Amino acid sequence: MNRQSSRAARQWGRVRAFFSKPANVILVVFCVVLCLLTLYPLLLLMLETVTVHAGKEMRAVSQAEGTFTLYSLQRLFATAKNSYSRLTFYQPLLNTLAVSITASCISIVFGGAVAWLITRTNLKFKRFISTVFVFPYIMPAWTLATFWQTFFKNVNVGAGTSNGIMAAVFGVYMPEWFVYGYFPISMVLGLHYAPFAYILIGGILRNMDANLEEAATILKTAPRRILLRITLPIVKPALLSTLLLVFASSMSAYSVPVFLGSPVRYYVLSTKMMSLINNYPGQGYIIAAVMIVFGVAILAINQHITGSRKSYTTVTGKSSQISLVNLRGLNTPIAVVLTVLMLLVAVLPLITFALESVIIKAGDYSLSNMTLDFWIGRNLTYLDQGDSTGILLSAKVLKALGYSLLLAATCSIVAGTSGVLVGYGIVKRRGSKLATAVNNLSFFPYLMPSLAFGAIYLAMSTRVPFLHGFVVLALVGSVKYLPFASRSGINAMLQLSGEIEEAAVIVGVPWYKRMLRILFPIQKSSFLSGYLLPMVSCMRELSLFVLLVPTSNTLLTTMLMQYSEKGWAQFGNAINLLIIVVVLLVNFIVNKLTGASIDKGVGG
Amino acid sequence: MKKIVALLLCCLLTLSFAGALAESVADLCAAAESMSHEELLEKALAEEGTFVVYGNTSRIVTAAEAFGALHGITIEGSNLKDSEIYTKLSTEIKGGAKGADMVMIQDGASLQSQALDTGYLVNFVPASVKDAVAEGDRNPLIQQFINKVFIWNNRGESVPAITNVWQLTEPQFKGNIIFKTPDSEQVNMNFLVMLTNEEWSAKLEEAYKNLYGEEIDLGEYENAGYKWIAEFLSNCTFGNSDTTIAEEISQETAEGKIGLFVLSKLRSSSVYTENLTVGEYVAAETGTPIEPFSGFMYPMYALVSSNASRPYTAMLFIEYLMTQDGFEPWGKSIGAYSTNTQIAPNEGDLGLDAWKGSLVMEDPEYILENYEDVYSFVTLYLQ
Repeated sequence: MNRQSSRAARQWGRVRAFFSKPANVILVVFCVVLCLLTLYPLLLLMLETVTVHAGKEMRAVSQAEGTFTLYSLQRLFATAKNSYSRLTFYQPLLNTLAVSITASCISIVFGGAVAWLITRTNLKFKRFISTVFVFPYIMPAWTLATFWQTFFKNVNVGAGTSNGIMAAVFGVYMPEWFVYGYFPISMVLGLHYAPFAYILIGGILRNMDANLEEAATILKTAPRRILLRITLPIVKPALLSTLLLVFASSMSAYSVPVFLGSPVRYYVLSTKMMSLINNYPGQGYIIAAVMIVFGVAILAINQHITGSRKSYTTVTGKSSQISLVNLRGLNTPIAVVLTVLMLLVAVLPLITFALESVIIKAGDYSLSNMTLDFWIGRNLTYLDQGDSTGILLSAKVLKALGYSLLLAATCSIVAGTSGVLVGYGIVKRRGSKLATAVNNLSFFPYLMPSLAFGAIYLAMSTRVPFLHGFVVLALVGSVKYLPFASRSGINAMLQLSGEIEEAAVIVGVPWYKRMLRILFPIQKSSFLSGYLLPMVSCMRELSLFVLLVPTSNTLLTTMLMQYSEKGWAQFGNAINLLIIVVVLLVNFIVNKLTGASIDKGVGG
Repeated sequence: MKKIVALLLCCLLTLSFAGALAESVADLCAAAESMSHEELLEKALAEEGTFVVYGNTSRIVTAAEAFGALHGITIEGSNLKDSEIYTKLSTEIKGGAKGADMVMIQDGASLQSQALDTGYLVNFVPASVKDAVAEGDRNPLIQQFINKVFIWNNRGESVPAITNVWQLTEPQFKGNIIFKTPDSEQVNMNFLVMLTNEEWSAKLEEAYKNLYGEEIDLGEYENAGYKWIAEFLSNCTFGNSDTTIAEEISQETAEGKIGLFVLSKLRSSSVYTENLTVGEYVAAETGTPIEPFSGFMYPMYALVSSNASRPYTAMLFIEYLMTQDGFEPWGKSIGAYSTNTQIAPNEGDLGLDAWKGSLVMEDPEYILENYEDVYSFVTLYLQ
């Protein structure tokens, strides 16, 4: 009896000791919550792949709705008739891989290079470049795609009905491979995600301890050798995280391949999934599952590389003074090339959107064809473009703007704070099974294609009474963007040497004070990018929310997509510009208040 | 404690009784089919809460707002894609959540298999307009028809003024036909499926003979419908939206281009209407119709949701949509045809019956039976 009770007491003591560490509490709580919010939806998704759905599937299998079937699996993977499986699954899979790999490489190389130039060299026009570089990420991806199309299209390619700016103004007719298909899809996705690589890698580069580099410099190591042997290894975890994120994003990107692929019949998994999910949901969900399997595989690789017991501490308690590499003669040429490129990729689309939002008939840029009615007009029935009020005066648009902002702010606060906590917990308990589990769970939502994730949350919302309207939107957004926040949280914490917190522990500073007064301020820019990324992503998210919004007028993006689909291009372009301007404003305000911003997690 | 449990049990029992006693929306609709406008109105106004409408046309929102203003009812109108509507409907109804009261939707085959077979949507034909609607358009109730027709750019030397659809399969049309990709809009796929049935494959066979003066050589194709689909799609370029297709084909630079898209797009201020010619209008003038069809037509259905919280308001709204006032949002321009025979065709357009004779119509049962085969066949030519 006595022995038993002492054993129980010992166990209880162990449990208490375990939970006395904040890191453990955080990990346990997140482990449970994330299981409910990610594994459960995943399980639902898996079930959907072997379930008969109402509609055409039911007709095809002659079974009742909801019963078990292998029909979808057989149909998608092993149907030789009309080369169905090859054309519906295998070829799109190869295309997806090709596009995703190319896009990740483009974004890593481009974003990484710019991050290095901004943080580590004496490049000119830094401020301009670092500000403008994030524009393509702020813009919804499809706008860059439509921009590419309007800019490069010509009568020789695709539908071939009209000339874009390149052909009309400069007389240059780009070949088809350049305008449609694999190349532009990869380029647009790569450019879209390059700022993302830039933010993550730049945040690390900026904060990393320069001692190692300085030591190498003192020892007269060649700059290239420093880059390859010191800088690159230090940013390796960030590089890998970025690669992982960009690959997964590119894989589930839907709107870009639709705009740039379908005119030349270039299909990827996401476009196939979208066309299947209406008639044959089972097959659509299988494609979603396949995407997730790929995501998990990359996650495992990443795990294998960063999870091993290497240390990536880069910020110690010691002072660090970054010495900038002198670009010398290369400075001006690189700065000029980058500036021109930025103007092309980031500023020109904005000008195009502005222009397209004031012309009445497409392709006619004369003053007589222009009007500000789409912005500030009233009683516009003569235009017959759906709405009768310019967007700045429209109660509908302003209401949606408010809703979008509130949603983005909520998701940003929830995801961002969770990201800091998760980062802390994981790094403190690095190597433990619990930490690994939470690490993977917190990344999981990222691997789920947004559309499938939204659909599953819709299914969940019907089982849980309070999951409606704003709550479900905020929840799905927070969970979906947690990976951004947790990645930046983990990266930031990984760099922090343990001795900083230990010093505070020794003098008895309570946990919340250590977080608020010491850890957070040191890695402020990294952590804040964990707040800003969900905010920005949320502002321009579409597929995640499209099934969950009460009406298409709820959010600016759902409204925008509706306008694009209806072909109300001017209103659409105006709303698009509004979204970008609002995000820039948010960025600016956060910058003024906290000194941090999306582009400067980096920059001077 | 025991008392509380007993009380709770009592409550539960009462609730389930009430649930069993409450009539289903389907029963209400059936009973209401004999009601007059006044009776419907009275019942509708006695209902409470926001009236929710889902529709896959933007104008349904306009119509709903006008209806709401007329009767002082708060309206929430959502313009969603048809696939989104089905997803929302099924999850909301299965989960017992509050959703739409009334739905307006296209794509008869999906409607049948996803919403009628499952009982998610309920048919209601208002007594006041019943006689004005053709019997074939009543179950499920079609509020209007919409057509997609061959329209071409009329500039330059090489105007593609076709008189027979087999011309579109000829080499000179390669890349010059623009069509919204059939796997992104169901009604386009439905049209292709319909071409494989007995009636249309026979008509296509005959049209082939009329054009080339010889019997068709089917080769490995099952029938003339499949052959036309294969050769037509091989010549197509795929667009993302009918509006963009209309805008593109209407450009000065789009000489020799032809499209198969919604006629109503001609109303759009962003389209150079003067550069476009509608095939069927030419046919009506010259008396030589395009063989064997000049496009296709699909219904827009108006139905009550089985979990409607304002069922009578939904019925009243459907009645309203069938009247001249309710059709007003579509009544201004070409390309929309009320099934109420008392509503005259819009100015400058042909009437519903004239169109029906020259367009491919949907048969939901045939589409459902043959969808899988034709879908995979079409996939082959989407590459």
